[in-house]
Amino acid sequence: MNPPQRERLIESNPFVDVATHLFLEDIADKQGAAGLNNYLMSLAANLARSMPEEEYSTWEEFLDAVRSGNSIITAFEEIFTPTQNCLVTRRSPFERGWVEYIKRVGSFSRIHREVADYYNSAVKPTTLNSLHIIHQTFRATAAARLRVGGKAVRYAQIATVWTDGEKKIAPEEWLPVLLERAGITHTQLNMLLRNNADVWVLYQE
Amino acid sequence: MLDVALVALIRDMSEKAGVDGTIQYWTRVGENLAKRIGKEVYMGWPSFNVAFREGRTGFSIEGEATPLTDLAITDVDGDVVGYIYAMKQCCFVPTILRVRYSVGELPRADKAVAEEYNNTVHDIAVCNFCVIHEKFREEVAKNITIGGQSLDCLLLATRGYTGETKISEKNLGKIGMNPDQVRALLRNYECVYAILMKGAKLKEDGK
Repeated sequence: MNPPQRERLIESNPFVDVATHLFLEDIADKQGAAGLNNYLMSLAANLARSMPEEEYSTWEEFLDAVRSGNSIITAFEEIFTPTQNCLVTRRSPFERGWVEYIKRVGSFSRIHREVADYYNSAVKPTTLNSLHIIHQTFRATAAARLRVGGKAVRYAQIATVWTDGEKKIAPEEWLPVLLERAGITHTQLNMLLRNNADVWVLYQE
Repeated sequence: MLDVALVALIRDMSEKAGVDGTIQYWTRVGENLAKRIGKEVYMGWPSFNVAFREGRTGFSIEGEATPLTDLAITDVDGDVVGYIYAMKQCCFVPTILRVRYSVGELPRADKAVAEEYNNTVHDIAVCNFCVIHEKFREEVAKNITIGGQSLDCLLLATRGYTGETKISEKNLGKIGMNPDQVRALLRNYECVYAILMKGAKLKEDGK
């Protein structure tokens, strides 16, 4: 994929993003945080399932596709890989839509945080708002569509930072395993969280 | 990413709720967005057009659009009651490209939704996204007043990603505009619409 195509792929459509946030708020009014959570998860899973499955011979070949955005799992974000298994997203693909929302509509509705609280207690404690539910569900579903050397690829979220600087790090008891899989230390994680949006890990059993 | 997710959802939604279900969905999304943007007040057309050009109006969330101030709409007394506005590129073109390069192709439901909308609501859609635009603009216009009068928005013509064009003879008739005029605009613009005073006594009305 050439750079202009890649740039276009990462960019968002603020018109649709803002319209969607408001629509999601409408869903939450009727179905509550649980209903919205289900909707967000099915939206993300549906997107990943609509994209083609992938297979790679080696982890190195897979990482090349991941770094260049040619793999479905990084199609919508710019990442770098400090180690063979650790992936760092520089900027949330939802940031532009969020900025447009606060500019045109006002402060982000509380429901986006409340649904994240629901997800954190019902699924995994790794999100700060509704957009992280979409993003993390998408990654998990997309990872399930990948095969490297004939084996499945697993995804786990280590930490998330929102545009306003708020952080959500995986629970203390999970961290040692996640950091080991990612091949980074706790100090390196904190360094990465200073000016990036997400730290996550892809690995094989 | 969210826009591509929604496009992927269209396929699913059209299979489950039918294409008319997708039309209702986009209509609701457009209406909801416009209502939440809030009210705006302008002293006159010059201040509205400056705000429009600078991206300060409710319409601006769609992306860059131009007020064609050489194309004024006048009423039976010859007073200016509106103008023509146009977008060089539909804000959904980048979405279409993102779908192309991530999923592979637009869902077939895209054309089906546009056709259903053309047959049942207004023969103006070149793709399913036109549904959200038309409703959104109609609702935004209701929230804006110029000199104390609220506005109306009429979608006049569209040009799709593959070059297909649609011209609304119905809406052109309302403002007394010649189809050839708007056809010429489509050479340079992908979406052309009119914003005018609600209830203005237009020349067409005065016949």
